[in-house]
Amino acid sequence: MPTMTFTIRRFVEAKSFSRDYSFEYMAGNTVLDGLIFIKEKLDPSLAFTASCRNGVCGACALRVNGQAVLACETAIESLAARYHSARLTIAPLGNFTVLRDLVVDWQPKLDRMKQVKPWLIPQDAFSADTGCRQSQTDFDKIRGYTDCILCGACVSECSKLAADSADFLEPFAFVKAQKYVADSRDDAPLKHLDPAIQAGLWRCMHCEECTAKCPKSLDPAEDIAKLRVMAFKKAMVNSAGAQHAQAFYEDINDIGRLNEAKLAIRTDGIMKSLTRVGLAYRLMKVDKLDPFHLPEPIKNISKVQKILKAAKEADKS
Amino acid sequence: MKKFAFFPGCVLEGSAKEALDATIKVAAALEIELVEIPGWTCCGASHVQDMDPMAALAINARNMALAEKMGLPILTVCNTCTLMLRQAKSALDGDDRLKEKVNRVIASGGYEYVGFSDITHLLWVLAEDTAFWQRRISRPLTGTKVAAYYGCHILRPQKIMNFEDSANPRSLETVIRAVGAEPVDFPDKLQCCGFHAFWTAEKDAVFLTGKHVDNAVKAGADMMATPCPLCQMQLDMYQPEGRQAVHSTAEIPVLHLAQLIGLGLGFSPAELGINRHVSAASKVMLNQ
Ligand code: SF4
Ligand code: SF4
Ligand code: FES
Repeated sequence: MPTMTFTIRRFVEAKSFSRDYSFEYMAGNTVLDGLIFIKEKLDPSLAFTASCRNGVCGACALRVNGQAVLACETAIESLAARYHSARLTIAPLGNFTVLRDLVVDWQPKLDRMKQVKPWLIPQDAFSADTGCRQSQTDFDKIRGYTDCILCGACVSECSKLAADSADFLEPFAFVKAQKYVADSRDDAPLKHLDPAIQAGLWRCMHCEECTAKCPKSLDPAEDIAKLRVMAFKKAMVNSAGAQHAQAFYEDINDIGRLNEAKLAIRTDGIMKSLTRVGLAYRLMKVDKLDPFHLPEPIKNISKVQKILKAAKEADKS
Repeated sequence: MKKFAFFPGCVLEGSAKEALDATIKVAAALEIELVEIPGWTCCGASHVQDMDPMAALAINARNMALAEKMGLPILTVCNTCTLMLRQAKSALDGDDRLKEKVNRVIASGGYEYVGFSDITHLLWVLAEDTAFWQRRISRPLTGTKVAAYYGCHILRPQKIMNFEDSANPRSLETVIRAVGAEPVDFPDKLQCCGFHAFWTAEKDAVFLTGKHVDNAVKAGADMMATPCPLCQMQLDMYQPEGRQAVHSTAEIPVLHLAQLIGLGLGFSPAELGINRHVSAASKVMLNQ
């Protein structure tokens, strides 16, 4: 049987250290099987969480070589093959506070999630007698969202959270917000959308780490885009992020391509742009920014304009 | 001879002009024929779908339709362009009704999307087959340590990009080795540069820049190389702010992929436009 060594990042009573554990494994053994073996046979002091062992409860997410996975669903042999290595580094999820070893603190995350009101706010028309009926088509729009098992894999490598979590919610919170914004039975999409905007909707970096990590094939980055589309639909566009998206759209409509020299002013407004004069000077010095470069429209710009107009119409139908 | 419908993308016409010059020189030297797609538009840059997803799909359906007319696969040199085009392709090819709908939209401009043009990136073409170009490396970068910085959109989401394992990619290291340099592993190589949130989360983007640069230098790299002109801009232009944000003194040149290959082909740093970089351009000169 092949041997695997887990280098486990431990955290016990405010002390961080790493410890190696070697064991033999069989085909089909998962990372969780490895951890259970270590705890039972090698070191009972190791702490980790798991429950269903079947990819349902979301308790066992952790990091292998810096990337979040579900321990119970990930075969050791596939990781050995992925990294061409008989040694893996096992660590707790990133962007969480560690309580002990591989156990992270969920309470603050769940409290934060409540900001987007992750529950149905039913329409007045519904009652206890008649219930909340919904067409199959409308149900199909939201059914996928129930697959979220709150495992936190989408949080672990989120670039925005890694830089600063004070002004940005966890990716799964945006998934929840979109779930209720998209639910035809919900009476108050703005009660979910507005807090999502307040909690950083336009600060997502579009790094796709969340989408890459979700073991349930949800797409938090796409849900963030959908929430942004809804913000446009509700004319909640008074933000640098929305202005920025609009600037790209308008450039495509006007000339087909980006007009870099104008971008800062349209995104930030004149006043804030002036604060970037130092940067502009730095760029002009190496010929990176040419404020007098006014790109010409592409040859068939009128065709592009027709397409954008038709796209708007098609969206309505 | 490899031949592609070339999608340069907006920044290569503007602030990353040096990447365009380097790409054209390197492609010619490697006998990769690049025919620019006439009348291509901005790919949406990962922003337009936030305002009008149908518009984002339609402009890229048009871009792909133009390449189909040329009968050539598309080659881009920007991670985000690659993702935007591939995302549109995957949406259209996977849903006949959507494809019909989008085709009705672009028919208003006289275009039709069929779906036979593939979309690739210069990095993938070079990594897939090093044999055809490695022998042309006349000035191998022996002893130069290069931190491979992938950027997000050439890897993620896996199901759209799918050239390699997004958790453990090898393509950039393969190319770095093929120019005779030594790839340096560093913890940030798969992480985000923050470029797309620069306007909304500036201090975070700048912090990420500082951290990546600092870690690359700590890992012993002489330079960083990236297949994405947006990552290059972020990591190059904002090093002064980045250093401040993470209290570091690290300064390192950040090369476009084509510039890295170009050095190995014997072009001078000036010929590759490295003098247009903000950070540590002179360190590249010294190494040559
Ligand atoms: S795409 Fe946005 S939410 Fe998802 S991981 Fe990146 S920054 Fe976080
Ligand atoms: S969205 Fe996916 S990764 Fe995030 S908590 Fe839910 S199931 Fe886990
Ligand atoms: S133990 Fe429940 S998801 Fe892994």
